[in-house]
Amino acid sequence: MAETKVKSGTIVHPHYGCTVGAAYTVAAIKGGVPIANCGPGCMYKQFFLISFDNGFQGSAGAGGGNIPSANVGENDIVFGGDKKLDDLIKSSLAVLKGDLFVVLTGCSGELIGDNVESVVRKYQEQGFPVVHAETGGFKGTNITGHEIVIESIINQYVGDYDGEKEQGLVNLWFDVPYFHQNWRGDYLEIVRILRASGLKVNVLFGPQSGGVKEWKKIPKAQFNLVINPWVGLKTAKLLERKYGQPYLHIPEIPVGEEATTAFIRRVVEFAGISKRKSEAFIREESQLYYYFLEHFAEFFSEYWFGLPSQFAVIGDSAYTLAYTKFLASQIGMIPVKQIITDNPPAKYREKIAEYFQSLADDVSVEPEFIEDGYLVEESLRNTDFGSGVPLILGTTWESDVAREKNGLLIEVGPPTTEEVTINKTYIGYRGAFTLLERIYSAAVGGK
Amino acid sequence: MAKEIRQIAIYGKGGIGKSTTTQNLTAGLVERGNKVMVVGCDPKADSTRLLLGGLAQRTVLDTLRENGEDIDLEDILKEGYGGTRCVESGGPEPGVGCAGRGIITSIGLLERLGAYTDDLDYVFYDVLGDVVCGGFAMPIREGKAKEIYIVASGEMMALYAANNISKGIARYAKQGGVRLGGIICNSRNVDRERELVAAFAKELGTQLIHFVPRDNEVQRAEIHKKTVIDHKPDAKQADEYRELARKIEENTQFVIPKPLTQERLEEILLEYGLLDALEDNYNI
Repeated sequence: MAETKVKSGTIVHPHYGCTVGAAYTVAAIKGGVPIANCGPGCMYKQFFLISFDNGFQGSAGAGGGNIPSANVGENDIVFGGDKKLDDLIKSSLAVLKGDLFVVLTGCSGELIGDNVESVVRKYQEQGFPVVHAETGGFKGTNITGHEIVIESIINQYVGDYDGEKEQGLVNLWFDVPYFHQNWRGDYLEIVRILRASGLKVNVLFGPQSGGVKEWKKIPKAQFNLVINPWVGLKTAKLLERKYGQPYLHIPEIPVGEEATTAFIRRVVEFAGISKRKSEAFIREESQLYYYFLEHFAEFFSEYWFGLPSQFAVIGDSAYTLAYTKFLASQIGMIPVKQIITDNPPAKYREKIAEYFQSLADDVSVEPEFIEDGYLVEESLRNTDFGSGVPLILGTTWESDVAREKNGLLIEVGPPTTEEVTINKTYIGYRGAFTLLERIYSAAVGGK
Repeated sequence: MAKEIRQIAIYGKGGIGKSTTTQNLTAGLVERGNKVMVVGCDPKADSTRLLLGGLAQRTVLDTLRENGEDIDLEDILKEGYGGTRCVESGGPEPGVGCAGRGIITSIGLLERLGAYTDDLDYVFYDVLGDVVCGGFAMPIREGKAKEIYIVASGEMMALYAANNISKGIARYAKQGGVRLGGIICNSRNVDRERELVAAFAKELGTQLIHFVPRDNEVQRAEIHKKTVIDHKPDAKQADEYRELARKIEENTQFVIPKPLTQERLEEILLEYGLLDALEDNYNI
């Protein structure tokens, strides 16, 4: 008898955190202090998936495992948690150094309707830089939370603005910090590229950011740049309504010379600034790029044993697209299984699938949207990688199936327990070679 | 073998007289030699006033809030009329926290502290208005009340509420042993009330277990913070509650209710002339 399999809705091996995991978006802002208004286990879980067991990214100050938390208990649920939160905010302001404090309320407070807004408003009225974000875990993933946190900061901290715009200044909406383990290196590379092309960049997260001063400058920017298939569009639309800023949406994170050069030309064109600087930069970077590529070519053509030719990527929409496109169009590898695990909203899925239709001349692939780690493994297990060594860009959750298939697993997303990330990038002009080094070192037996 | 405690939950529309009925009924059961515990599951905490002779009791949640987890049974359990044990769950301040979770917390605490002793014959849960969320359904979850009585009257909204509550009971009945024991009509003196409620009960698949007539004796006893049996044992109304107690003690009819559709409910109301009567009633 035919068996009908109904998906239960439960998942194992999640590839994302919950909404309140956006605490790490706050931690990525220089001077940003997340205040977790949730149960004691919430931050612990988010910390391990998004920060620690995800390239061991590390933190300084309030972040990592040091996030102040209300540790909401049963009494706070029955009687309301306002008082405890009030005490926590007061002590956080007293003990922690920070320029912007963001209260993230998790499931319990959101369910019982704690009036967090009124607790926080008291501090706002006294001039403390405190913002609250409604990040009940049931609202979705840490990406949902990332956008909620950004919107809360813009509405409650950045505020209204109807002054002049600054020509050539761009707000950069790019990697979800920590969730993308290479985010620091990725920001460095993209910001380097944009600045060298003649743009001024409002860097909102990471080491080059001026912190909250830069957030205050958001309304002055000429436009918003969104580099992701879907994350950041909500923010861009908010800013369009709020400050009348246009936005440029580039779904594909550029990897390698061709994509990066095309990326620069699109941004410069949109900004309407002089092309002199950007073209000079493109020339300089291209020369370097092809110098290295030529030398790499010797290995690539002479080394015959055990190089992968067919590959799979398991990751979020942005990096699955970026890595797939680079490896397919620039290295000539064949994409055989691309699995998107960040649960993009239904309205974006068709568009995202479309981006995979024109990876290179005559190369296209139908991506699968799967959240359940078990189904991801099943799908990978049933993938035919031909006679070569399977190359899998994925996460630690895929390590069992990679071993079964004698494949090369390069961990690129959460959780990542076999890579330590300090300042690494696989994107742009410079990062592309790091990715190739990583893949081919593994291929030649590097440990 | 220890006898099983009959755990009974009383539901019904807000203001229908659940607490009054429960306490008067309790007095009737006590007179018959039963040991009864009444657990008020309403943040207003007025379910045991008539048994205790006033609103003297600290609620479970007040105690929890003020004393923390270190609580003894004596702190929350008070003895009332005829040795009745009285507990008020209480609730958070209006507008904050979660009253539903509060009931779950209170009942959990009562169980941990050993309030359910073998000498009890009955435990009554007097639950606020409607089954608005999981917390207010706590008394009828697995292992707790297996019998439910709905207090209703011949008024339209009371029957709407009773029908809604039946939906909740039907849901829980499928998962566990909870059953509807009947409808108690707490009369409001509306036209053809007894017939209407009896017909409604029949349609639900249950019975009108007792028709409690309207009598000012109840209000007079309430003013004195007493049940009718306590205040005026020889009153006619006292006998009504004794009769209700007898019927409940002897009840064997426990069913999974079949809630009515909106259309059918309105049909019955029409059939018994209630909707016509409403048109003539300018008080509404």
